[in-house]
Amino acid sequence: MSAARGSNEAPLRCEGLARSFGGLQAVAGVSLALPAGQVTALVGPNGAGKTTLFNLITGNLRADAGTAWVRGQPITGLKPWQVARLGVARSFQDLRLFTHMTVRDNVLAATERSAWFWQPGGTAGRKRRLAAAEAALEATGLASLADARAIDLAYAERKFLSLARILAAEAEIWLLDEPASGLDLASRMRFADLLRSATRRGVAICLIEHNLDVVAELSDRIAFLDQGRVIAEGDPQSILRDPALAAIYFGDRHEPASAAAETEA
Amino acid sequence: MIAYLSNLATQVAIFGILAATLNFILGYAGIFSIAHAVFFGLGAYAGAQIALLLVPDVVLACIVAAAIAGGLSLCLALPALRVRGEYFVAASLGLQMVAVTLFAELKPLTGGIGGLVGIPLPTLFGVPVGVLPVALAALALILLATALLARGSFGRTLTAIRDAESAAEALGKNVAAAKTLAVGFACAGAGVAGALYALHTSFVNVESFTMDYSVLMMAMVIIGGTGTLWGPLIGTVLLLSLPAALAFLPFLPATEVGAVQQIIIGLAMTLLMIFRPAGLVGDLSRGQTTA
Amino acid sequence: MLFLQLLINGLQTGAIYALTAAGFALIFGATRIFHFAHGTAFTLAGYAFLFAWRADWPGWAGVLVAVAAATLFGMAMERFVYRPIQRHEGSFFTVFVAAFGVGIVVQNLIGLFAGRGLATVDTPLSFGTEVLPEIFVAPILWIAIGTAAVLFAALTVFLTRSHAGVALRALAQNPDLIRTYGLSANGLSVLAFAIGSALAAPAAIITAMTSGLNEAIGHQVMLISIAATIVGGIGSLRGAALAGLMLGVAESLALQFVDTQWAEAVSFLVLFAFILFRPSGIFGVAAAR
Repeated sequence: MSAARGSNEAPLRCEGLARSFGGLQAVAGVSLALPAGQVTALVGPNGAGKTTLFNLITGNLRADAGTAWVRGQPITGLKPWQVARLGVARSFQDLRLFTHMTVRDNVLAATERSAWFWQPGGTAGRKRRLAAAEAALEATGLASLADARAIDLAYAERKFLSLARILAAEAEIWLLDEPASGLDLASRMRFADLLRSATRRGVAICLIEHNLDVVAELSDRIAFLDQGRVIAEGDPQSILRDPALAAIYFGDRHEPASAAAETEA
Repeated sequence: MIAYLSNLATQVAIFGILAATLNFILGYAGIFSIAHAVFFGLGAYAGAQIALLLVPDVVLACIVAAAIAGGLSLCLALPALRVRGEYFVAASLGLQMVAVTLFAELKPLTGGIGGLVGIPLPTLFGVPVGVLPVALAALALILLATALLARGSFGRTLTAIRDAESAAEALGKNVAAAKTLAVGFACAGAGVAGALYALHTSFVNVESFTMDYSVLMMAMVIIGGTGTLWGPLIGTVLLLSLPAALAFLPFLPATEVGAVQQIIIGLAMTLLMIFRPAGLVGDLSRGQTTA
Repeated sequence: MLFLQLLINGLQTGAIYALTAAGFALIFGATRIFHFAHGTAFTLAGYAFLFAWRADWPGWAGVLVAVAAATLFGMAMERFVYRPIQRHEGSFFTVFVAAFGVGIVVQNLIGLFAGRGLATVDTPLSFGTEVLPEIFVAPILWIAIGTAAVLFAALTVFLTRSHAGVALRALAQNPDLIRTYGLSANGLSVLAFAIGSALAAPAAIITAMTSGLNEAIGHQVMLISIAATIVGGIGSLRGAALAGLMLGVAESLALQFVDTQWAEAVSFLVLFAFILFRPSGIFGVAAAR
């Protein structure tokens, strides 16, 4: 997949996305653009609708209203695998690794998109995919663990495996759901380096993150979500210093009790 | 003695194909079908009709059987796409039970309860041929195919879908297509086994395609060890040798051999699951890196 | 009026199905174990009653034996099969295969010792008397409906009023709540299996007195129980019971149009339709995936 195309339009854009569950409006009209080569952080209190927004974009949930575009092509209504093939890679808060496969196979699987008995591209294609997998393993520091089973990995290694899959998929748009949570400082720095080099290649990254230090380190822009709406958007400094937003974030007013809205249907 | 061994070998080959194909969807895709005998039956009836109506060419019979069984496998694939695990087992259970009724009722196609008789001996491009060599060749081919598929990208796709379907989808895999293909391949293989069976016994009837047979196939896969190449084959040999072994026990009346066999199989399945779920050959701790 | 007769028969069958399905749904809901040997509990209860009957024991003794057989079997499965399995891997597959294996063993043991084929208990209770022109009703109908009604009422009281019952219901909604109720997870598991299996006993007894038993009846029972649980909606006992009743009536009414061997297909068709179009069932809370 090539670097950011020379177009003015953000690689991923959405407008007016909305979704409710029963009586609860989980996402209430979100419009967002993810520019190429930048990290956009999505922050907000629990239940603000962040994961639901991801699900709406990837097609795991059907939107009640609104549209999303990838490089100008509308993607609302497409199945998740179709959205993925357009260049959108997504990680999950609970990782969802392929537990019974080895680390290498997990990453290889990310390079194989065709559901047919074999992949297109013949031997040359196979070499290319293997190379992409090895590169992803190198970049995430998992090369020495390539033959270990995913289920046997330590916590930090699992988080990096999740990222390695995204790297190997060579996607241009990354939607990462709390990718750095629970990582120690050294791992966080390695993780930040990986994101930085990706953005240098032109990848558009959107990050759901609760750890505000991570957000401050990594993001170029922040979108603050609350009760399904983007109530503030801008550069990290101004958002993170805003006292009103802090009050909302740390729950100085009654929070909607909606764990359901954050989980995938 | 030769005839007995030859017959046993043919049975091993035929059931080996059934076990290997069932293992493919069970061990890799995690699709728990207890309706595999249905597709065995479909292939048998198709092969029998080709032999009776056209020409008993073994290759033609196998191809038609594979096409019909593979095509009708959509009946199994469709629920597999919608639900997983427990709920899918229920659907396949129902499918197996209804299929037996269908086989017994659709006289023009299946000969009803009496079945189809007098199937002519098989030929290969006009030359009479024994079923054993063809069956062994088919077994070898199917084992090779399942090995290649399982170790290649398709096997990874299926295992990924089984382990974390939403993550597999998020990486661009068309889950529905993969499942449908896997089921189609496995059922087509079962169909081939059916055609060979029809030509081997020269007689097919619904009694060979009941739930008991689906269970037998499942036991072969489980006892040998799911997700391995040789496991199903070992399970096949063991379970098919069981009646012969039981015949050596003097205190066993002949009429009850079948029941005793089933009891042993049932005990083996339960005990294995409690103490050694990986089966005889399978090894849960070993990761299989394939590329 | 064939339709009315079929409806009446359907209610009788439906009561049987409702009890069996509710038992399975209770176990599955509370323990999330796909107890594929529930049909075996049914079979054991039925044949226990049959043996007691043939040995000229009084009716109530037969009922006791049947209930004991089913309950003890369920508890034994939980203790000796499912618990060890859940201790190590406990995937759905292992549980299913183990239960299946037990079913095969029991089915063939019964075949060996009780003979194969249809076995019935002949009682005057199943003799129909003509209540309306061409409409026959046997006392067994009222027994079936009455038993089902009483048992469901008792079950509802238990599930809403007793500490253990409420815990079972809570388990079905959220397994993590176990700790807050202070009852051991194992204890509740055993209870679920005991009650769920016991519910199969009256159904088996009535079946023995009406359409009869055979050693392979477990498969049919499983199909109905699973179908009713899915159609009714996973996690809903009420749904499973209602769906069981519905399936019984539907199966019976189908006889107006097709022969008996296709009546079984009705349950399968309904199940298939729900799996394809509405996997969460009628009252379902949890999704089927």
